[in-house]
Amino acid sequence: MNHLLKVEGLAKSFAGSKAVDGIHFTIGEGRCMALLGPNGAGKTTTIRMITGLLEPTSGSISFRYQEPGMDRRKLIGYLPQIPAFYGWMSGKEFLVYAGRLCGMSARAAEASSKELLERVGIADAGKRRIGGYSGGMKQRLGLAQALIHKPKLLVLDEPVSALDPIGRREVMALLSELKRETTVLFSTHVLHDAEELCDDVLIMREGRIAIHGAIDEIRASNRQPVLLLETEGDERSQGWVEEWMRHQPAFVQTAEVTGSGLRLVVNDVGAARRMLLAQLAEADVRVTKLEFGHTSLEDLFIKAVAR
Amino acid sequence: MTQWFVLYCREWLELVRSYKLIWVPIVFILLGASQPITTYFLPEILASAGNLPEGTTFEFPVPTAVEVLAQTLGQFGTLGVLVVALSSMGAISGERVSGTASMILVKPVSYGAFVTSKWAAMLTLSTISFAMGYGAAWYYTMALFEAVGWREVGGSLLLFALWLGFVGTLTILFSSLLRSAAAAAFSALAVSVLLSLSASMLPNAFAWSPGNLSKLAASFVMNHTAEGLWLVVLVTFCAMAAALTASAAVLRKRPSLDAA
Ligand SMILES: Nc1ncnc2c1ncn2[C@@H]1O[C@H](COP(=O)(O)OP(=O)(O)OP(=O)(O)O)[C@@H](O)[C@H]1O
Ligand SMILES: [Mg+2]
Repeated sequence: MNHLLKVEGLAKSFAGSKAVDGIHFTIGEGRCMALLGPNGAGKTTTIRMITGLLEPTSGSISFRYQEPGMDRRKLIGYLPQIPAFYGWMSGKEFLVYAGRLCGMSARAAEASSKELLERVGIADAGKRRIGGYSGGMKQRLGLAQALIHKPKLLVLDEPVSALDPIGRREVMALLSELKRETTVLFSTHVLHDAEELCDDVLIMREGRIAIHGAIDEIRASNRQPVLLLETEGDERSQGWVEEWMRHQPAFVQTAEVTGSGLRLVVNDVGAARRMLLAQLAEADVRVTKLEFGHTSLEDLFIKAVAR
Repeated sequence: MTQWFVLYCREWLELVRSYKLIWVPIVFILLGASQPITTYFLPEILASAGNLPEGTTFEFPVPTAVEVLAQTLGQFGTLGVLVVALSSMGAISGERVSGTASMILVKPVSYGAFVTSKWAAMLTLSTISFAMGYGAAWYYTMALFEAVGWREVGGSLLLFALWLGFVGTLTILFSSLLRSAAAAAFSALAVSVLLSLSASMLPNAFAWSPGNLSKLAASFVMNHTAEGLWLVVLVTFCAMAAALTASAAVLRKRPSLDAA
């Protein structure tokens, strides 16, 4: 696989504490990679080092298209976690300004701005001053300015966390369109977004990489059967659940009580199914739901970042 | 070069939209016009104060026109310098703290161009404002006192504009070093006061210092020439270039302070 970006031994310390602690990874050209991790894991710090806004304490970042001496900022479009603008400019003016700074002609920047305003869904507000924009509108404008020079790598720091549910859907749809055009690296807390959109994931924890790889492979290699049981929550059922927790059979890997039921990660789904069904029938438990599925990325995430 | 021009145009747009292009010249014009006018009417103002015994007469030495202009430069040397420092104190720190610097500097923008476009805008604003203020002073001096030749006025104007530009450059340098805009203005003013004081107290040791500029401008308007002018001008230019280089280097090292 051709890599677009290669990060080697990247580290950043702030006043002695290590925000990013020697990470290695590559992003394949045309891939979409999600950067996950709990608050303070070092996602924003990593992203800012890639964009050149923060000088790494050590390590290197190299681009495939970067000839010696070339400014790598040409290749990157960046949307910060909290985008900032000149409040006295209009959205359109800012886009034209951004485009012209990237070396576009006045006419090309104008045309491109118009198109991007449409695309991110704030065409009506293009002539208004940014000072009067809502948070979601600023996020969209931020996305548009990151795209203006058709970057090879689009770097987005939590692009949807400031949006309402509808806005989120729209921007996610836009991102899934964009990932066909360019390579995308985006950080998020929402695992569902990562699963929906990405080819690769990189999960960070305390400045280190906990999990890195193609999402399908990670899912396949970490897939475990999950058993979900819900009851009506009456006393007898509750009693049965408690009793059951005390005498867990061997196939159970982890078990937790969830409200009125159970959630089990098991290694032998056949045995688990036979045994549980028999026990439930015998004890006459008021089952409302019984589900046999697989661990999600969320389970993996929690396993990776917990401790 | 195109990129520099794009940056410079943005600065202009900001000067217009933030009304700096209006209030800074107005302050300078008021300053410039008020000096000859109050000087002219001072005897009458005092006489009409009223609480003086009948028949008291004043003997005021009527200042010459060039003296009035030199006094005007004195006004610009305090309030004008203050206005220049205040109007450019957030030039870089404002953008870094708000995060717009990181929006712009992730684009392939030269750090030097970013700084010099702000510097050029500051220089344009201060020079235009000062020229208008000094022009107003000249006009009223001509109207109320006597004529002053354009050579003396032009020469002193350039020298004094250079001093204002130098203070503005210091402000930009400090605004790239410090987080707070007020601290940047204060530091620039403190340095300029120190320079002026040292130059007037130890004229020989500091003959090269940019702190001489305001004195040179005053002496130029009064005597048509100013001694040691070229050395000071040269040193000032070099100092401004050094300050801009330092600002750009600071910015390259830490393009943003947000999310700290
Ligand atoms: N400028 C800074 N000075 C000091 N410490 C910093 C600075 N920036 C980040 N840190 C520290 O580095 C660590 C990683 O921060 P970072 O912003 O990269 O986390 P994150 O993964 O983006 O978190 P979040 O999900 O909250 O955005 C944190 O412990 C933070 O306190
Ligand atoms: Mg972050």
